[in-house]
Amino acid sequence: MIKRFLIAMLVMAATGFGVEAQADVPVISGAVGFLSTTNGGTNYLEPIVVPVLSAPVGDHLLFEARGELLGFYSQNSGGGLSYQRQYFSALDYAQVDYIVNSWLTIVAGRFLTPFGIYNERLTPIWIHNMQDTPLILPIGTRTSGSSLGGMVRGAFTPSSDVEINYTAYFSASNNSQYWGAGRTAGGRVGIFLPDRRLEVGMSYQRFLQGTRFNSLGAHVSWQPYSIPLDVKAEFAHSASGYGYWAEAAYRLSRFRGPESAIGRLQPVFRMQQFVRLQPNDSDSLPGANTQQADFGFDYFLPHQVKINANYSRQFSSGGDANIWDIGITYRFMFPLWPGGSK
Amino acid sequence: MKGVLACVFAGCVYCAVQTRAQSVQAQAPGAQSKSSSWASRSASSSPSEGEIRFEAHCGRCHLPPEDLSPREAKAVIRQMRVRAMLSAEDERLILRYVAP
Repeated sequence: MIKRFLIAMLVMAATGFGVEAQADVPVISGAVGFLSTTNGGTNYLEPIVVPVLSAPVGDHLLFEARGELLGFYSQNSGGGLSYQRQYFSALDYAQVDYIVNSWLTIVAGRFLTPFGIYNERLTPIWIHNMQDTPLILPIGTRTSGSSLGGMVRGAFTPSSDVEINYTAYFSASNNSQYWGAGRTAGGRVGIFLPDRRLEVGMSYQRFLQGTRFNSLGAHVSWQPYSIPLDVKAEFAHSASGYGYWAEAAYRLSRFRGPESAIGRLQPVFRMQQFVRLQPNDSDSLPGANTQQADFGFDYFLPHQVKINANYSRQFSSGGDANIWDIGITYRFMFPLWPGGSK
Repeated sequence: MKGVLACVFAGCVYCAVQTRAQSVQAQAPGAQSKSSSWASRSASSSPSEGEIRFEAHCGRCHLPPEDLSPREAKAVIRQMRVRAMLSAEDERLILRYVAP
């Protein structure tokens, strides 16, 4: 399984830099991490590698792909040091982007489904502030978080201090291991005020296979210039249920600067809730009404190493739980083509 | 849960007050404005323009990458142009900022 995945990545890489190797150096970036979770008294360990390939060809073309190689160690019942081991690999996206101009980019292949902001922007382990994904992430991103088809996207600037960004896509159904996707159509529109670093937007998806239904979402993202605060929130609604998450992170960089011992610390708080409207065993959402409060911190070490730890208290009609997460990630980046580092 | 919500609300109020206070302070005569209009900041072509664009777009999600060579940076910024829907000018200026 992993061998086939690696071969596929290498073939894609070769396709990328074989065309115009001297002019555009393909880059492998991504992260390696070790994540640990204790949920309801059971420990889970996850070593993970997330390689990202980026291969520009000329001024208008880009090939990009992201994969995941994940080990999953779950503690056997009864505790102790006995663990069950499983290994997974996945292809998050493998897409060709043709940049027509500043307002239009045409995307073909497997791409992250653009519903809300989390799935496209915050899923990388070296970016998100909380290790666990939000409860409502499956809304609008079924069946795999990725789509297989075509997408157009871009941004307009109707005035100097306003940007309007958009995406529209269609995805075909596919049940294979690496290319799995649902038959869907949808899009997202956002209004971004760069002067305030404030974005609000809405998302829509029509699920077109089996029982058809609509998913609606709204998001807000705010990072004021005046203080190192990061606020993000999403609301999503589908036939299965609705919910929200809201997260605030405040980096203590004002205490002796961002490179100081205390300035590298970023406390994070997230509040989330999901309300189940109808039972559905296959939608990957919580089976019952759930509320969750997450407290944690990120610590930004030199050389792109980040430590994350958080505690979550989950209140659910299916049973309350304590969740402890701790992880360390290292962000890497290197050129694929020899001699291409300069 | 109500206590948690009360704490969140109090935190939001505190941050809003902080933001407002900083904004007023920044607009004081002689102060270097961090919240000056986007248009006025974009009008200059100073070397820091790329940093401004980076902070406005890329800095919303992550910190600047360390030790990027110009040829590596081209691939990375091209990818971010698609992901963050940057303009051609944004791409050029941010490229100059992250890999001068």
